[in-house]
Amino acid sequence: MAGNTLTQSRCSLEGKVIVITSGKGGVGKTTTTASIGAALALEGKQVAVVDMDIGLRNLDVVMGLENRIVFNVIDAIKGKCKIRQAAIKDRRIENLYLFPASQSDNKDVVKPDEMVRFCKMLRKEFDYILLDCPAGIERGFENSIAPADEAVVVCTPDISSIRDADRVIGLLYAKSITPKLILNRIVPDMVARGDMLSHQDVVDILSIELIGLVRMDDQVVVATNTGLPLVLQKDSTAGEAFRRIAQRLNGQKDIPIQIPQSTKSIWKTIGQKLGLGK
Amino acid sequence: MFNGFLKKIFGREGSGNQAKQRLQFALIYDKLEISDDILNLLQQDIVDVISRYFEIDKKSLQLDIRKTEGRSALVVNTPILSAKRQKPIVREDPKLNRANEKKGKHSGSHR
Ligand SMILES: Nc1ncnc2c1ncn2[C@@H]1O[C@H](COP(=O)(O)OP(=O)(O)OP(=O)(O)O)[C@@H](O)[C@H]1O
Ligand SMILES: [Mg+2]
Repeated sequence: MAGNTLTQSRCSLEGKVIVITSGKGGVGKTTTTASIGAALALEGKQVAVVDMDIGLRNLDVVMGLENRIVFNVIDAIKGKCKIRQAAIKDRRIENLYLFPASQSDNKDVVKPDEMVRFCKMLRKEFDYILLDCPAGIERGFENSIAPADEAVVVCTPDISSIRDADRVIGLLYAKSITPKLILNRIVPDMVARGDMLSHQDVVDILSIELIGLVRMDDQVVVATNTGLPLVLQKDSTAGEAFRRIAQRLNGQKDIPIQIPQSTKSIWKTIGQKLGLGK
Repeated sequence: MFNGFLKKIFGREGSGNQAKQRLQFALIYDKLEISDDILNLLQQDIVDVISRYFEIDKKSLQLDIRKTEGRSALVVNTPILSAKRQKPIVREDPKLNRANEKKGKHSGSHR
């Protein structure tokens, strides 16, 4: 549990709160939170991931911890249980803890200042606290950004996701948070063909710092199906990308961002453009 | 013909380019949206300024943002009752004038 041993090993350093947000739903916030959380823990950090999607919890199933929920984050915030009682320890990855959302409450049961106070306590126990923000820009969003030191905006290369990301970036700046960008669900073949916005296009439009590029990867679905951590999947390009993002977040700035490459040969691509073959 | 061939291979004619252009337009357009609160404040300020020079019917002043494809315009419409004979009061006060100039130097230029 997030108990005494943790406090001892962490001395007096304060942990960092990072919110994972997007505006638009279904772009990969939960996948990102679970993967970066696991990867940071594998780097040896004490990590808490918090499901802020109150009423629609999902981070628990993505992490394969759904059978172990007794208390949830609302119980912890409202003092119905001790904080450590609501933290579920991942048995596969050392130092990784999940605070599940409550399924019966509504997002309005928590106020932003309660979240600030709750995270203040978590900072004493953990190096990183990742908040999986719900879609939208209402109360759930406000609750998630209120305690955040940093923000990661996830978006996909499509118009509606980028527009929503732009709106969220504006709201984060208004709170004096400078967000970093993850572009998810990239299909390199489509980019090569000119039918998908490239990462340069997206960075041009949003003009914020890029921290990672994640390609569309079947392994994401497999990992979610099985509840096994994506970052432990050896042959997953997305898992690899998330591991590198975690290292970058953790201060290893020299790790280059890998650009997802098309697997097709150049000749096949040219053939396709000319309408030859499939 | 050869040109078209090259474009087909190297060109960026795909729908991605269209998406980028549409997005850039949409984002500019989104940011032109102004809340009613701000419009009300602006209207108040405009009434004050115009009233220094003209006698106007303050209630009938209309302030609109008119959007057409590609651009937005701020439209102020007010009937003038009469022009004021004397010089505007604000200008005649040298103290105030200097204060305004100073302000202009420090903060005005940077908007
Ligand atoms: N890189 C990827 N490759 C393939 N599938 C992906 C990828 N990223 C996310 N997905 C899939 O997209 C879906 C949505 O992902 P996820 O639940 O992480 O999004 P979300 O932003 O948390 O959604 P919500 O707004 O509903 O909370 C899931 O089915 C997930 O498996
Ligand atoms: Mg989610």
